[in-house]
Amino acid sequence: MLPRLPGVVARVLSCLLRGLEGHLVEIQVDISSGPVGFALVGLASGSVREAKERVRSAIHNSGLPFPSQRKLTVNLAPAELRKDGAGLDLAIGVGISLAALGLPSPRSTAFLGELALDGAVRHVDGVLVAARGLIRHGVGALFVPEADAAEAALAGGLRVYPCPSLSIAMAHLTGDTLLDPYSGRAPTPAAADASPEHDLAEVQGQDSARRALEVAASGGHNLLMYGPPGAGKTMLARTLPGLLPPLELQEALELAQVRSVLGDLTAGRPLEWVRPFRAPHHSVSLAGLIGGGSGLATPGEISRAHHGVLFLDELAEFRAATLQALRQPMEQGHIVITRRSGSVVYPARFQLVAATNPCPCGWEGDSQRSCRCTPASVEAYQRTLSGPLLDRIDLQVVVARTPMDVLGREAVGESSAAVRARVVAARQLQIDRQSTLNAGLRAPQLRRWAPLDATALSALRRWAGQRGLSARGFHRAWRVARTIADLDTGGPVREHHVMEALGYRLVERAA
Amino acid sequence: MGARRPTPYGEAVAERLATDLAHAGVAVVSGLAVGVDAAAHEGALIGEGCTIAVLGTGVDVIYPAANTDLAARIVARGGALVSQFPDGTGPKRDHFPRRNWTMAALADLVVVVEAAEGSGALITAEAGLAQGKAVMAVPGSVFSPLSVGCHQLLRDGAGLVQNARDVLGELNGLTAVLDDPLTPPDRLAVEGEAPRGRDGLLRHLSDAYPVEPGDLARRLGLAFPDVVARLTRLELEGKARRMGAGYLRVRGRGMT
Repeated sequence: MLPRLPGVVARVLSCLLRGLEGHLVEIQVDISSGPVGFALVGLASGSVREAKERVRSAIHNSGLPFPSQRKLTVNLAPAELRKDGAGLDLAIGVGISLAALGLPSPRSTAFLGELALDGAVRHVDGVLVAARGLIRHGVGALFVPEADAAEAALAGGLRVYPCPSLSIAMAHLTGDTLLDPYSGRAPTPAAADASPEHDLAEVQGQDSARRALEVAASGGHNLLMYGPPGAGKTMLARTLPGLLPPLELQEALELAQVRSVLGDLTAGRPLEWVRPFRAPHHSVSLAGLIGGGSGLATPGEISRAHHGVLFLDELAEFRAATLQALRQPMEQGHIVITRRSGSVVYPARFQLVAATNPCPCGWEGDSQRSCRCTPASVEAYQRTLSGPLLDRIDLQVVVARTPMDVLGREAVGESSAAVRARVVAARQLQIDRQSTLNAGLRAPQLRRWAPLDATALSALRRWAGQRGLSARGFHRAWRVARTIADLDTGGPVREHHVMEALGYRLVERAA
Repeated sequence: MGARRPTPYGEAVAERLATDLAHAGVAVVSGLAVGVDAAAHEGALIGEGCTIAVLGTGVDVIYPAANTDLAARIVARGGALVSQFPDGTGPKRDHFPRRNWTMAALADLVVVVEAAEGSGALITAEAGLAQGKAVMAVPGSVFSPLSVGCHQLLRDGAGLVQNARDVLGELNGLTAVLDDPLTPPDRLAVEGEAPRGRDGLLRHLSDAYPVEPGDLARRLGLAFPDVVARLTRLELEGKARRMGAGYLRVRGRGMT
């Protein structure tokens, strides 16, 4: 039993989200003599102050007593945490009802949900994140909206009560009618051989892009496709999630938390196993891409693409500041967004696939159509590409238009499932050897896990000297060579692996 | 007609022209030699047309032996092997100019694809002129010795060939000219043997149009990653360079 503070009649737990962290909130309800009124204190924002009216109606309409002839004070603690959203409604309603009935407060039990005026409990976002936060604070039981029970149960180690209304919650607490805890089955990963929505078998020709996608999928490398409009860059990019193994449980849970905060989870089926594919338009705002927004920062596209693919089409059309903001998450796998009310951290471990035209009109370098751009505009266009972001892209390939006479007659290409089998084997090899994919290898680890023999090293040095390769570029080519060797034999990195890796670099020429 | 050791450009032009002409119902006559001749026959077969090989040997002797399979396919697809020499005649140096005269005689029009100065293809062109046949030539790079003969013919008044329509126009007495660029064939006529040595791939590249590594891999029966690695090696040595999605041969540069 929690110690009873003098004058406090009821204490009920709930949860507030800051990014992907759930903070415990205690709702303290005091009914005392004094001037009649209803005071809600504890740094409540507008949406929480409105809870007073919702809760009052919900209690009345549930046939529960409301202390309208007394002084009612509801305190949301801790006071320094800014409260917003409607998720505290249910806990406030339960607290007031318990106080009015003079019942003891339930121990280590929390309540989440918005109240409708008739007392029904409505969906709130972020239940999974809240549930995980509450477990860390030692909470053992959680009342949630019925629709969110499956989501809350993903957190594990918590009794989850699907709660349709305030009156049903109160009936359980008074012992009149006990609710059954949620007993859905534990989530099971999808079959790994599921056929993807966009299959490589549908792609005709495009040998370079196919190979680059396979290498990118195997080593977790970022990829740039460079080619004229209509060459199929978007279609190629969309095949990447289908070349990757399905999400693992831990990965799926991390992604589900991001979606939970955004209210993006499918009710009753909160876990998705297919890796996400996000393709924000180039007009996307900074907040939309990396996260933010007014008030509490919400996750952006990069976090929605966590453990999946972020596709940026027309890379040169994105604002420079927007691309600049991608650098931190690309290096660290998460994004820190600082607001007046504090910092939040969202995961953002995505694989970047970018596509661009070679010039403003799109036809520079095409064998069939001539480019209408001036040399100066082509140069300016390519300069916008050759910034620091491009230095973080391991693989770059030219995607040419497939000639009309090849379309429709070429034999169907290899299917995604066949490529995925090789990708999965190569990834397993990397995890067994070094506990990370090759894209995550730093220079000292490269020397350890991907030593180059004399011929391979001299070839790489010679290229670096000729093309003015930066140190970063040098290591990128090295990592790709490691992945190519993993797809080949899994053995040492040879000169021909380095040579192939250098075949997927273009930018030195544009820089 | 054209060089026995053409550039990939010459080979591509010969194949493409023959394919398009065969499509248009023109019979393609050539000499079953390697290089431009073989490409022309292959092109005609791709275009599902009729092609006639005029031999400098007896019809029962295929020379060079490398074209035995091609000769069999020409016959199987409704074409013909013809010869003015008795059966069993082997290759003889002085027979080939006589064969060239016959070839010109069988044709309505002679197209020279690639010919060095003073080469056999020019003899055929002269034979065609002597017999009152139209002579046309395909221009090439001014850097290429294999185009000097063609450029001489053009300067002397031969018709310019940019595409099959130019040839059809000449055959049918039309004068309208459409300056469309020819699209290179995605598969060259000669199934190359797997390239050996460091520079083996170089002779499959052109300095006139880019060749994509995927097409090279299919043509040569090599794995795609292997072709990319070889091409990068050539690039590193300054012998090839990228253009768009393909690779060009760099002309006139040695090792860097």
